[in-house]
Amino acid sequence: MNTQASHRPIIEARNVGKRFGKFQALNDVTATFYEGQVTAIIGPSGSGKSTFLRTLNRLEKHDSGSIVVDGITLDDDLRHLDAIRREVGMVFQSFNLFSHLTILKNVSLAPMRVRKMSRAAAEARALTLLERVGLKDQAHKYPVQLSGGQQQRVAIARALAMDPKVLLFDEPTSALDPEMVNEVLAVMRELAHTGITMLVVTHEMGFAREVADRLIFFDLGVILEDTTPANFFLNPNHDRAKAFLSQVKHGY
Amino acid sequence: MKINKLDTGLRRCNGLDRRFLGMNWSRQHPGWMMFGAMVGLLLFLWGMAIPLSLAPAPIGPVAHLFAEGARATVMLTLIAGSIGVVLGVLAGLGKLSSFLPLRWLCDFYVWLMRGTPLLLQILFVWLTLPQILPDSIQVSDFACAAIALALNVGAYNTECVRAGILAVPQGQVEAARALGLSPFQTFMDVVLPQSMRVALPALANNMASLVKDSSLAYAISVVELTMVGYRVQAESYQPIPVFLTIAAIYLILTTAFTTLTAALENQLDVGRKRQE
Repeated sequence: MNTQASHRPIIEARNVGKRFGKFQALNDVTATFYEGQVTAIIGPSGSGKSTFLRTLNRLEKHDSGSIVVDGITLDDDLRHLDAIRREVGMVFQSFNLFSHLTILKNVSLAPMRVRKMSRAAAEARALTLLERVGLKDQAHKYPVQLSGGQQQRVAIARALAMDPKVLLFDEPTSALDPEMVNEVLAVMRELAHTGITMLVVTHEMGFAREVADRLIFFDLGVILEDTTPANFFLNPNHDRAKAFLSQVKHGY
Repeated sequence: MKINKLDTGLRRCNGLDRRFLGMNWSRQHPGWMMFGAMVGLLLFLWGMAIPLSLAPAPIGPVAHLFAEGARATVMLTLIAGSIGVVLGVLAGLGKLSSFLPLRWLCDFYVWLMRGTPLLLQILFVWLTLPQILPDSIQVSDFACAAIALALNVGAYNTECVRAGILAVPQGQVEAARALGLSPFQTFMDVVLPQSMRVALPALANNMASLVKDSSLAYAISVVELTMVGYRVQAESYQPIPVFLTIAAIYLILTTAFTTLTAALENQLDVGRKRQE
């Protein structure tokens, strides 16, 4: 591996392929992500961007190619998978908070079960994280009692509780009412400055432009553009990307 | 406003573990209903003979028989019901197993039990167990009835448990797995508690049906409520008051059980509605 700390690859995907029946969702996708990098992944629906994200912690199993996360190969070996999932946190479009647990328990469950932290330590840490996302006073409520934006902030705190090296965001603001989008983006923006590696599948062009170091445009299961946000928004190389941009442009 | 009220309710709910039932127990009203139904049922069972003994001729003199019959019916229900729940959870899990032979076995069990009459099952157990088991083991009629009823209700419970597990959104499993929880931890911490929200009311419902189904045990001479009624009317030649009394006792028992069920459903349904 490269000795330069800031350029240490943390995720290396090589020729990753995935099909659902006859549908080729990912076709020979190769990309390397470096520590501390914030990557926005955009593209039309069905372009494979979410699928790609989900293969990185094996919520979808890739059919071909290889994925190496922090030096560990993602394969059928359950120990590898467990090790990777400990390093890679995920935030979902529909939050997926555990509906039968309080906010506090949602955040402290995984550290207690996976990291074997004591309840007291896990809950103290959970409260610190909830404070960070501005929801400490909601700790004893249940997910249903919170707004979508609040739930998504809890989901971010829950992912952070495992101290991941990488955070995957799968359209984190797509299920939110417009006025709640900003509170979630604010938390993500703050996170981006902490040096954690982030991969964000998003439709928030403003966020991609402002916060991301790198932008990947997916179409039909392949990476069409892999560049900086500034470059992409000013002069996209492909017609498909131009068409996409003209469609979404009025939105930001 | 409603949420604030709930929140104060949650705060009031003492105890450290609000994990699952805590949320529901905090809504104290259904909780008291369940408690009341349980206490009412027990008081009724143990105290029934006293008011009944004041009743006129065919009933009063044999009030203690009615009380014994009711106790036998309830015991049969509780024993068969408890075993049935364990069977239901095991077979429900088995039906969702990726191990094909186990799935076949559980499918076969449910198919067999739901596809044949309960009376036949009771007679079958009663008549074949003594033949199968060595002579040294004596199985009482009551035990035979309990075994057959447990097997039967277990098959129905299987479907409830399976439906409950299937009702847990896949996203919940994905979130748990993405956090690094093992499949077993995911099941114990996330899937099982959430599936019970769906399965418990249906399981309790099966329990309430079991009260009535236990009457079939009379066919193998278990002295439960229906058998008591049959004997008393045979001696007194007064079927109308006797069977009306029996029917009233059954109604009181099933009402107690359905009150329990309704309270439980109420509690759990609230949790689900608020989930929307």
